[in-house]
Amino acid sequence: MKMDSVLLMAYVDGELSADECQEIEKEIAVSPDTAELVAQLRASQLPYAQAFAQQKLPPVPDSLTEAVAAMARAHAQRTATPGANDAAVARDAFTPLSAPVRSRLRIAPQWLAVAFVAGVVCYGIGTRFLPGFGTNPNTNPTATLAAANPEEPGWVAAAAGYQQLYSRETVVQVPVNTELTAQTVDEIQHQDGLNVRIPDLSQAGLTFKRVQRLRFKDKPLVQIVYLPQQGAPIALCVMKDARPDSTIAEQRVESMNVVTWRHADLSYALIGKPEGTDLSALAKRISDNDVQTLFGDAGVSMLAAN
Amino acid sequence: MTGSDLPSQLPELLPRLWSFALRISGDRHDAEDLVQRACLRGLERAHQLQPGTSALSWMFSIVHSTWIDELRARTRRNRSSTEWDDDMLETVADPAARTPEENAINSQIVSAVGQLPEAQRVVMLLVAVEGLSYSEAAEVLEVPIGTVMSRLSRARQTIGTLFGVRDNQKTKVVIASKDPVS
Repeated sequence: MKMDSVLLMAYVDGELSADECQEIEKEIAVSPDTAELVAQLRASQLPYAQAFAQQKLPPVPDSLTEAVAAMARAHAQRTATPGANDAAVARDAFTPLSAPVRSRLRIAPQWLAVAFVAGVVCYGIGTRFLPGFGTNPNTNPTATLAAANPEEPGWVAAAAGYQQLYSRETVVQVPVNTELTAQTVDEIQHQDGLNVRIPDLSQAGLTFKRVQRLRFKDKPLVQIVYLPQQGAPIALCVMKDARPDSTIAEQRVESMNVVTWRHADLSYALIGKPEGTDLSALAKRISDNDVQTLFGDAGVSMLAAN
Repeated sequence: MTGSDLPSQLPELLPRLWSFALRISGDRHDAEDLVQRACLRGLERAHQLQPGTSALSWMFSIVHSTWIDELRARTRRNRSSTEWDDDMLETVADPAARTPEENAINSQIVSAVGQLPEAQRVVMLLVAVEGLSYSEAAEVLEVPIGTVMSRLSRARQTIGTLFGVRDNQKTKVVIASKDPVS
């Protein structure tokens, strides 16, 4: 009868007592099967760690290092200030490990937004794990923005990735705080040094919801969020960019449509889901200054005036 | 080590989590998503990390379970689990002046482990490559320690057979080459 292979493995690895070894050696002497098994296990004593240490692995991507560092920072800040996102945490923290994959993006906790503000490049989280995204990098040209658009600065990808986490429910209940918005725009213009105005896109059916001062790699990034009559929110994101002006260009970043252009030392990205609003047409109107301003014209607020 | 230490530990654990994710997924893009998602899960559950538990084992566990979830989801979506990136698994000559024969054996070892059934392959990666104890590997995989030992012994039988056969073939070749007349 063959002896237990686990016991024989322990024997081969020198983990048994002298008495146990004697027992096994007696068995080996009379059982060819046992002798063969021991021979196999001895042949499997190989320098595995050394062999794998020689494996040529790609280095940890910078984007991953940054994302994890920012997540860790955001988590540390969050736990240091209990209450900041308690409702979200209570709902998200105990999701079983086997939670359905399809729901993962939706359960991304609110503190990830904090991570973004802290400077994280959190784009792409889990998107390859979602239906509709190829698993083979060769067949998925939009899986990694850096590969798809080597010329595009990382902030557009980060902003698109962040916007991807937004659902209609994220902002539908957010009341427009006129006073806070005017103050934020003032800070953007005078502290961040970005001459950003909040365009009135109501003619295109978009309702202004809020403006946020974010940071990407320690530089100011403005996110202006609008809610269309149907579907997911649309964001107009702005960063300082000294490169020459450029006309609008449409691209796909992950699951988002992004239309970019540069004007007067500012780089713009209009970001939304592919379905719904014609972003290119809208971007053209904004870049042609064919829209009115809600906030940012010498402190005049059309919303406040109304 | 407690959960409150996890945020400060994660960056230094990252290289090993990255290697492990690459090896179990076989794809660098999957590995990046996998590690990000695992870190997110780990931080969300940091309060569950008991004092004295190895943060590395605990994170390996989350990486592994996240990957298993992903494989199940892909199966549901009728996709192949993964397409192995052969380039990634290439072993290169070690600059530390190893002999060509040692380099060849290292490549064969990596290849042999890669050909094991998934459950055995992961146990080999955790125990033989990452250096986890049987009980740590059992915790990572959420299986009894006996299951870990059983998978490991089966994996090693398979590899031992493979290397035993290769050694025999090598011996035959050597014997044949010694006799140019035959």
